[in-house]
Amino acid sequence: MEGFDRVVPHQEGQSRSSTSLLNRRELIRAALFASVATVLGPTFSVAQAVSSGLTAAARGEDGSAVLSDPNWKPAFLNEHQNATLIMVSDVIIPATETPGAKAALVNRYLDLLLSVQPAGFQQRFSGALAFIDDESQKEFKSDFVQLTPENQVWLLNQWAFARENSRWTERDDRHGEPGDPGQRNFQLLKTLIATGYYESEMGQKELGWDGEMTHGPYLGCEHATGTHT
Amino acid sequence: MANDPLQQIYDVIVVGSGATGGWAAKRLSEAGLKVALLEAGRTVTPREFTEHMPVFQLKYRGRDPEIAKTRPIQQQCYACMEYNYEWFVNDLENPYSTPTDRPFTWQRLRVLGGRSLVWGRHSYRLSDVDFKAASRDGFDVDWPISYADLAPYYDIVERYVGISGAAEKNPMLPDGQFLPPMKMSCGEVRLRDSMQKKFGRTLTMGRVAILTQPHNGRAPCHYCGPCERGCFTFSYFSSPFTTVKDAVKTGNCTLITDAIVSHVDMDTASNKASGVTFVTRATKETKQVRGKAVVLCAQALESTRILLNSSTREYPKGLGNSSGMLGHHLMDHVVGGGASGTFEDLQGKPSASPPHRPTGIYAVRFRNTPATGKYPHFIRGYGYQGSSMPSFDFGAPGIGATYKRAVKQGTYDVSLGAFGESLARFDNFCEIDPYLKDAWGIPALRISMAHGANEKAMMQDAAVSAAEMLEAAGAKNIRITTGTEMPGMAIHEVGTARMGTDPKKSVLNPFSQSHDVSNVVVADGSCFVSSACQNPTLTMMALAVRACDHLAERFRRNEV
Ligand SMILES: Cc1cc2nc3c(=O)[nH]c(=O)nc-3n(C[C@H](O)[C@H](O)[C@H](O)COP(=O)(O)OP(=O)(O)OC[C@H]3O[C@@H](n4cnc5c(N)ncnc54)[C@H](O)[C@@H]3O)c2cc1C
Ligand code: SF4
Repeated sequence: MEGFDRVVPHQEGQSRSSTSLLNRRELIRAALFASVATVLGPTFSVAQAVSSGLTAAARGEDGSAVLSDPNWKPAFLNEHQNATLIMVSDVIIPATETPGAKAALVNRYLDLLLSVQPAGFQQRFSGALAFIDDESQKEFKSDFVQLTPENQVWLLNQWAFARENSRWTERDDRHGEPGDPGQRNFQLLKTLIATGYYESEMGQKELGWDGEMTHGPYLGCEHATGTHT
Repeated sequence: MANDPLQQIYDVIVVGSGATGGWAAKRLSEAGLKVALLEAGRTVTPREFTEHMPVFQLKYRGRDPEIAKTRPIQQQCYACMEYNYEWFVNDLENPYSTPTDRPFTWQRLRVLGGRSLVWGRHSYRLSDVDFKAASRDGFDVDWPISYADLAPYYDIVERYVGISGAAEKNPMLPDGQFLPPMKMSCGEVRLRDSMQKKFGRTLTMGRVAILTQPHNGRAPCHYCGPCERGCFTFSYFSSPFTTVKDAVKTGNCTLITDAIVSHVDMDTASNKASGVTFVTRATKETKQVRGKAVVLCAQALESTRILLNSSTREYPKGLGNSSGMLGHHLMDHVVGGGASGTFEDLQGKPSASPPHRPTGIYAVRFRNTPATGKYPHFIRGYGYQGSSMPSFDFGAPGIGATYKRAVKQGTYDVSLGAFGESLARFDNFCEIDPYLKDAWGIPALRISMAHGANEKAMMQDAAVSAAEMLEAAGAKNIRITTGTEMPGMAIHEVGTARMGTDPKKSVLNPFSQSHDVSNVVVADGSCFVSSACQNPTLTMMALAVRACDHLAERFRRNEV
């Protein structure tokens, strides 16, 4: 996808251990000890007024605040697009036992992201939202936001599964760029919405994130020798 | 000023504080020599580490447009991200050129510790199959040293750094001084057993510079995962908090940051280096520091750039370049070949919570070995890094509750990606671009490198062999990648000032000392004669220790 990397939160590893090697308090103590221990001594810098050269993250800034601002206004989307995106995102990732895309403010994150993307990518995105409305008009004579929840699901479901081109194709269709415009537009929206959701705090919790920095060492395979051969 | 650090005459000036420069400063200052350690970048503190910061606290969640604007090249590196991109060089300030048909991606950090802050930590020894490769297949030349020369230095480095890993008794990958290895997943155990049984090939847990038990005052890894964002327990090896810290602690080492070395200063009468000239990062003033010896550890291409920029009337083609070899035989590992699939019958639930094992598995080279004999399609060989872990299935089909369930259900993935030897060729080289300067007015490099037919054949074979091994282990949905990535992509660049016994054919002697100028040592990866296929940094560090111990010995014997 031009102007946009394929986005899945980077996660690896199994959460199978319950015993902590170091608990959080011990870690913080270790850190204090460490920073004292590593004072480098008589460092001599020939730079006098160099800018700090720190990223916002390294300065400890929480960048998520912009999204929860009570006076939030879209920076890229117009009102109708914003309303449509909220609805589409909540059909793709609805609230179940856990919150859905709407509660996770996926529209706001995507608006921020789109506002800094190249024009070509912005147009593809707007085109994808417009395509959904066009199809909605063709089938139900009204915009997507006006459809009943049932019809919203009906409309999107037609593009939600990959179609096979060839049993022998090397490419996994699900990640590819299927030729059908419905699939193409839907897939673009779905990928972005899934990214916006699973990288949000609610989405991370959905994936098992609990805010702890450790649960002890990775234990790996604990089966008897030969189990997997 | 009486104790102005720039008014002293040091025994040794070390340039660069990364993986190798930290070692040089440590060994030399612990030997009682007065050392000035010059670093182009700023200092770094654990306060700026972000390994525990969740992704949603990043404003753009990793897609900050500033990265593409100021680091269009650096962003090709997986480790350059919204968390830490300021550690990587600003490409606008640090340009280099390449011929359009021979692109090279040069990924580097200019900050205390250099790339040791973000490296992947894989640490493997070379063997005599590598040091004496030319004798076996007739391509190019052997190293002037053998495994026995370097083994004691590998021991020193490993004992200090702390390498977790398993002994395998495979002569292609000599065993070392290991802490207990990290653990394999069920999928990896299956692949390991299947590879051993059906192919006679070795799959081992990655040997990495990450502690699995307390070591030299540092705490073991707590498996939070993203090491390239720093580690506030210093559980993986990076130079600022280990070697550099030790050097400064001796009281013999003066660390001078924000000092960008432009060239080595020569005393023509004695044919010896008298110090270095540098430009200050903030104010762009030119300054000098004097020393009895100069040790370059700025990383392969940067050290060579400094030498090329140090030409004099006696050395018109670059300092210490009477051989004409300086800048040539640039190498980087070839990457691009590999395979992935899924183990549909294995259980395991992915989780966004730790433990996240911060490394993977390693498959030992099996082509053109003494045991497997000559392989018809290419010379030398490759190893694989990989992993098999349950992961979230974000690409699952469908919408709604079904999709949410499928994402969490995940798939049990398995993958292998090759790192192959890149042959040392004279026509893969760097030189000074006559028209290009960096933001400090220092002439910049023109880098010209391409992988050849041997590397292409190797990646083709690596893809198919990986697929065969995954399939034999019962993986499904197997897909391969072939082709060679742009040179530089492996971030393992070595060569450009090769060592050798013949001053007409090499730049450095077997102790990484300039043939031409006896008090100039290049103690980073520049000296490599061949790239082998193992990740190079452990070998660079062992060579740096060997070179610096030799230099200290020459000081003791009053030869400098
Ligand atoms: C993401 C990533 C993953 C990697 N993974 C691995 C791995 O798993 N295993 C492995 O073996 N290797 C790995 N590497 C490579 C490894 O980082 C390098 O081989 C190693 O750091 C090289 O050490 P060095 O001392 O030569 O250079 P660096 O560690 O890069 O240090 C060079 C230092 O010199 C300074 N410097 C440069 N020019 C000047 C100048 N003109 N004046 C003053 N100072 C200067 C720089 O600021 C820097 O601090 C990886 C690299 C990256 C980026
Ligand atoms: S995974 Fe281990 S080594 Fe890496 S940052 Fe976390 S604690 Fe440090």
